[in-house]
Amino acid sequence: MANPLEVGLGVRRTPDPCAVVVFGASGDLTKRKLFPALYSLAYRRLLPERFAVVGIARTEESTRQFLTSMRKAVKEFARDPFRSDVFESLAAGVRYVATDFADDEGEDRIGDVLRELDRTRGTGGNRLYYLAVPPPAFPIVIREVGERREREGWARVIVEKPFGHDLASARELTASIRRWFAEDELFRIDHYLGKETVQNLMALRFANGIFEPLWNRQLIDHVQITVAETMGIEGRAGYYEQAGAIRDIFQNHLLQLLALTAMEPPIDFTAEAVRNEKVKVLRAMHTPGPKSVVRGQYGRGFVDGEEVASYREEPGVDPRSLTETYIAAKLYVDNWRWADTPFYVRAGKRLARRETTIAIQFKQAPHPPFEAIAGDGLRPNTLVVHVQPDEGVSLAIGAKVPGAGMSIRTVHMDFLYGGAFREGVPEAYERLILDAMLGDQTLFTREDEVEEQWKLVDAMVGAWSRDRPSFPNYAAGSWGPSLADELLHRDGRSWRRH
Amino acid sequence: MGVVAEIERKLAAQRCRQKEDDLPDLRTSTMTHLVWAPPEWLGRAKRVLDGLAERHPARTIFLVPLGGRSARIEADATVRAFAVDGNRELISEVVEIRLHGKASRHPGSLVAPLLISDLPVFCRWRGRPEWRGTALEELVEVADRLVVDSTEWGSGVPGAYAELARRFDQVAASDIAWRRTLPWRVALADRWPGIRTMRRLSVEGPLADSLLLVGWLRSRLRREISLSRRASDRVDAVRVDGDVVELPAAPPASGSDLLSAELDSYSRDPVYEAAVRAAAKR
Repeated sequence: MANPLEVGLGVRRTPDPCAVVVFGASGDLTKRKLFPALYSLAYRRLLPERFAVVGIARTEESTRQFLTSMRKAVKEFARDPFRSDVFESLAAGVRYVATDFADDEGEDRIGDVLRELDRTRGTGGNRLYYLAVPPPAFPIVIREVGERREREGWARVIVEKPFGHDLASARELTASIRRWFAEDELFRIDHYLGKETVQNLMALRFANGIFEPLWNRQLIDHVQITVAETMGIEGRAGYYEQAGAIRDIFQNHLLQLLALTAMEPPIDFTAEAVRNEKVKVLRAMHTPGPKSVVRGQYGRGFVDGEEVASYREEPGVDPRSLTETYIAAKLYVDNWRWADTPFYVRAGKRLARRETTIAIQFKQAPHPPFEAIAGDGLRPNTLVVHVQPDEGVSLAIGAKVPGAGMSIRTVHMDFLYGGAFREGVPEAYERLILDAMLGDQTLFTREDEVEEQWKLVDAMVGAWSRDRPSFPNYAAGSWGPSLADELLHRDGRSWRRH
Repeated sequence: MGVVAEIERKLAAQRCRQKEDDLPDLRTSTMTHLVWAPPEWLGRAKRVLDGLAERHPARTIFLVPLGGRSARIEADATVRAFAVDGNRELISEVVEIRLHGKASRHPGSLVAPLLISDLPVFCRWRGRPEWRGTALEELVEVADRLVVDSTEWGSGVPGAYAELARRFDQVAASDIAWRRTLPWRVALADRWPGIRTMRRLSVEGPLADSLLLVGWLRSRLRREISLSRRASDRVDAVRVDGDVVELPAAPPASGSDLLSAELDSYSRDPVYEAAVRAAAKR
């Protein structure tokens, strides 16, 4: 019999008792995102009462030292005010193990610590392994963890992006994980999917009757998706030289945003239904030809008023590097809804402004009677989803300028997310860690999605092997190479004005 | 110039003045928030609004019923600006209408033209409502949700619960006292299935909170449960058949937090309504 007292309490599902095991606990991701996210979950009492965290890294330090640095990290990076009682209750279940991931003896010690936590904290043998380590370490950690997997309790693995380097390596990685873990125990994280505004895109499309009838090739002229960063590579030359913009952003964030924009309404909001629709979009995309893709690499320039080095001058980068720090492409989704509607996407580092947006540009009014007097003031209607910053939605519409005559200007109707909802916007990692503890994979990418993404990327990268770009080709602090502008100008369009 | 026109003129003037600080204004309203606040409640009601800060961008209209023989209406309107992300300001509007004499019996015609179109209307009624009065009738007519705090009704409960229950088909109602009992309800729900045969609830707390708790248990468990109570300003202890119910330590929610939670609820709450009906039965 169901508990009648639970009806209407609005109590969110509480995860099972468990231990979160973070590999790479001394890294930046743990300090900036993971531990502050765990603190915020504790602050809101969303963690199970019987809970523990095991931090694992090579850095030699004690649990006490680890906690000292996590306390500092929480104060600096958590979205919630620091409360000693909350931190201490979380800290009581924290252990740190210093070991090399491939070291059998160290891995055995981790097992001992986890069993001790099962006894003292009641975590019940449930483990959530978070792989916050460089991709080459994934198979090693998976093997060590898999070999020691115990029968009692559940085990789930969160793997950070990039999941593989190409289709072959992604398949290989999946196969190595699947030796020990099933697909429903594997959580491929793309933190963009945890962002409220990305989820709001689904709310916007499927909870509002006015948008969906317009969301097709008949009324939409084109779509622009921008993931622009002002940052450089922040000391990650080793990773970035191998990845480039196409693997760092395009393969995951950009294609996921595109899939969410273009997908059909899922029958419900379950993991399988949502991911089924996304993968259909990815399958319907065809490989862009060489003229539909632009690569760039930043040279010296000015960002936020300060002169910054070129990519090739960054520490650890090959001075003759041909790694792209910018990519733009014209993509098509060949299905009934979107045929012949271009999706222009771009992502880059050291661009003029930090901005992630999805802009839906509608077709012009068929016969605006004001055309002769509208001049430059009248632009097509554009619905812009601001993923970050200034999270929200804006709609550009034409309005009459007050006064005599009939001058038309484009004005913005803004819905600022923070303006209507001032609290409760969780960090992406909070949502995703909680979902993984609950076993909900809706906001994680599935094997077939990742494979479709890599198929597209492999085909694009394959074409690059035949030419030698002239890098650098855009100044840091600009909006990317002029070739990217030409990509749209050829079609009589232009990137959104910033 | 009529009162409504005067209020609108004042608000427009204030909005223009706000622009002088060069920050773009953003008027993202989520509701009209009516507050019926007799003079003895007005100070507390304003402090709660201050505590809400920018959490629920709204047009808040304080309606202050005052005595007097002649019908007279006075109004003030202010615009509050809250910085958002350092480079924008969020605008909330606060209107205070003082209703003298007979005017206090008919606030509906003043309120109706000031409601923000297409957005929900919440009416927070401070103190014990005059159940048969025209003011309540008229405000319930325009409101989507009536928010009360039955701990403000003193010894009027449980009789007043029966009056409230009569309004359930007219307007969605919620009670801050009910919201205050939430942590206790969660703790009691955790005792399932052992709690299904309980017979006796002991509460150290206000009468309203105690009645709502026992009403909730009676209606959900569908059984007779007796209540014994020791008076206290807030619920300090709950026992089920003599067993102490443990509550996780947490700072008590402020009046603003409690109201804020109510302003996030839009629809009828059948669990609450059943609890009130059960609480109304002696």
